[in-house]
Amino acid sequence: MDRRTFLAATAALAATPALAQQRVTLNVLTAGDQNMVDYITDYLGPMFQRQNPGVTVRSLGTGPGDAGSQRIWERLEAQRRANTNSVDVDVAVVHQTMAGRMVAEGLLARYRDQAATGQLATSDVTRNALGQNVDGFVLPMFNSQIALAYNPARVANPPRSFAELENWVKQNPRRFGYNGIRGGMSGVGFVFGWAYAFGPDQKRLIEGPFDAEAVSALTPAFQRLREFNRNVVITPGNAGTLDAMNRGEIDMGPVWMDMFYSWQAEGRLNPAYRLVLPESGMPGQPMYYVIPARAANSDVARRFIELATSPPVQAEGIVRRFNWLPGIDAQHVRQHLDQQTWDRLFRDVGPDQLARGARPMPQADFMRALQEAYERVVLN
Amino acid sequence: MLPYLLLAPALFVVGAFFLVPLAFSVGGAFEGPQGPTLANLANAASLYRMDLLFTLLIVVASTALTGLGAVAIGGYLTLGRSKLALRLLGAMYRWPLFIPFIVAAQAMRGFIGQNGLMNNTLVWIGLMPQEWAQSFLDWRGIVITFVWKQLPFATLLVAGAMAALDRSGIEAAQNLGANRLRILIGIVIPQVARNIMVALVLSFVTMMSVLSVPMMISGQSPTMLTVAMAWRINSFGDYGTANALGLVSCVMTGLVAWVWLRQAAAERAR
Repeated sequence: MDRRTFLAATAALAATPALAQQRVTLNVLTAGDQNMVDYITDYLGPMFQRQNPGVTVRSLGTGPGDAGSQRIWERLEAQRRANTNSVDVDVAVVHQTMAGRMVAEGLLARYRDQAATGQLATSDVTRNALGQNVDGFVLPMFNSQIALAYNPARVANPPRSFAELENWVKQNPRRFGYNGIRGGMSGVGFVFGWAYAFGPDQKRLIEGPFDAEAVSALTPAFQRLREFNRNVVITPGNAGTLDAMNRGEIDMGPVWMDMFYSWQAEGRLNPAYRLVLPESGMPGQPMYYVIPARAANSDVARRFIELATSPPVQAEGIVRRFNWLPGIDAQHVRQHLDQQTWDRLFRDVGPDQLARGARPMPQADFMRALQEAYERVVLN
Repeated sequence: MLPYLLLAPALFVVGAFFLVPLAFSVGGAFEGPQGPTLANLANAASLYRMDLLFTLLIVVASTALTGLGAVAIGGYLTLGRSKLALRLLGAMYRWPLFIPFIVAAQAMRGFIGQNGLMNNTLVWIGLMPQEWAQSFLDWRGIVITFVWKQLPFATLLVAGAMAALDRSGIEAAQNLGANRLRILIGIVIPQVARNIMVALVLSFVTMMSVLSVPMMISGQSPTMLTVAMAWRINSFGDYGTANALGLVSCVMTGLVAWVWLRQAAAERAR
């Protein structure tokens, strides 16, 4: 075959619809810590590629915290302003704040009703993201919860409330660490937990409506946090808190439960460390799978999310391998898990403790206002 | 005509990739949702004035220490007598020059942390009890990293200028019995003062713009303006306040450059 014939044959093959359909690159953008990217790259992506020959899953991490979701929004917004016919993001994994904003601004496709797994997730977060109605636009990838990690060798009786923690820190200066508000959500969540504990109206902060007076009313709580901060270590990030515990520089700090269990399972964290969830409550949040409106491969994207939210994948990937709480309703997942894995998920913080202490993040406007109030009162 | 044509690509690159974005950035500092505003600057001042002060102190302290170190190393390379020490110092001082800031920051995290290599070594060889070990991962860590990273650059400029000096003045002073410190301060430094100034101004501007070091070494507050800018953009999409902070940074570096240019012009006039 000479070169010209070969090129002609290749062009003809490329034009064949069935084959052209098979050669799809699915762009999955993931906000969050490295474990989120690992989940797509090492587990979900290869599985989807095996089940869908010709599809290549290209995953890209956009960074931890809301900042990561912000970058995804910027990409979609830029392409909307440029009036592109299709966007180069097929599936995005975003935080609650940004999911709400993207729905409000019409950047997302309503896909849940068409997804085969759409009815498996019925919790409140499936419909409501920090006060914004997101019904139909999102499916939770997982739920995660912030809790206090501690070293039992140095902390015999871990604090059960924020007031007890405040006392403990006074007695043990610079043995508690958290990552402030600029280094990832475990620190931000700790600050919200503080505002819930010492502010006048926790319910208002969570459910809204937003009111600047309610933020001003938190000033005494933040002044108290400013005093508290004098005796704590500020770590560089979510992983930084666990690192500091590993190096023995601190004995306690707020962490994502899934990250804590994963690090222990991988032998990266002292297996003796334990978690406690203070009773006045700390926030948790889901991450959402979303499909942008005008995604280039929206059908493949929906199939990808169907796989990701199917009970076996939620059991094996989300719970067993990555130690997250399932995104779809737990009863669909439990039958695919052995008792040992199920127990490990609730080893330190049991279901009843979770029910008492797990809170949503604050309503979106409060969320931003609280972070600015922290900068204004605590940092200045 | 030809000279202008030859200049055109360079001018275009400077204009399109530096002046236009700079103008947008400065303009952005005064833009609000309802038109021109000073709210961004007010926001920057109310939320980040401590960070501003902190940045200034860190960078001024690091620049001063870099200058001292560069003069000390350059001075020894010019006036030192031990051949072995000269050869070792000459070979070693450039190493950090080839290491990126972020790698330097990462290495420092492992070195100067509470249970880092430095403290562990000091405890191990018995120079310090375990209880004295403290973390330098705060403003001190930033200063240490900046100085470590900028010192070779400054030394390269300063030592080069010192090596190019006419040695007859140094030898005359030696013949008259002046010691080496006296020669350094009285004869060498005045002749290379301009080079020292160039090294310090360039180091100041470089350190003002580093994001990775403060981010990795110290998550504490206050922190440097670069971290605050990244935070406003990444977490809030608030380009207005970030631009205002950038404007403040530009004013700070601009002032330093202005002082230097004035001095250089005065010297040329003499």
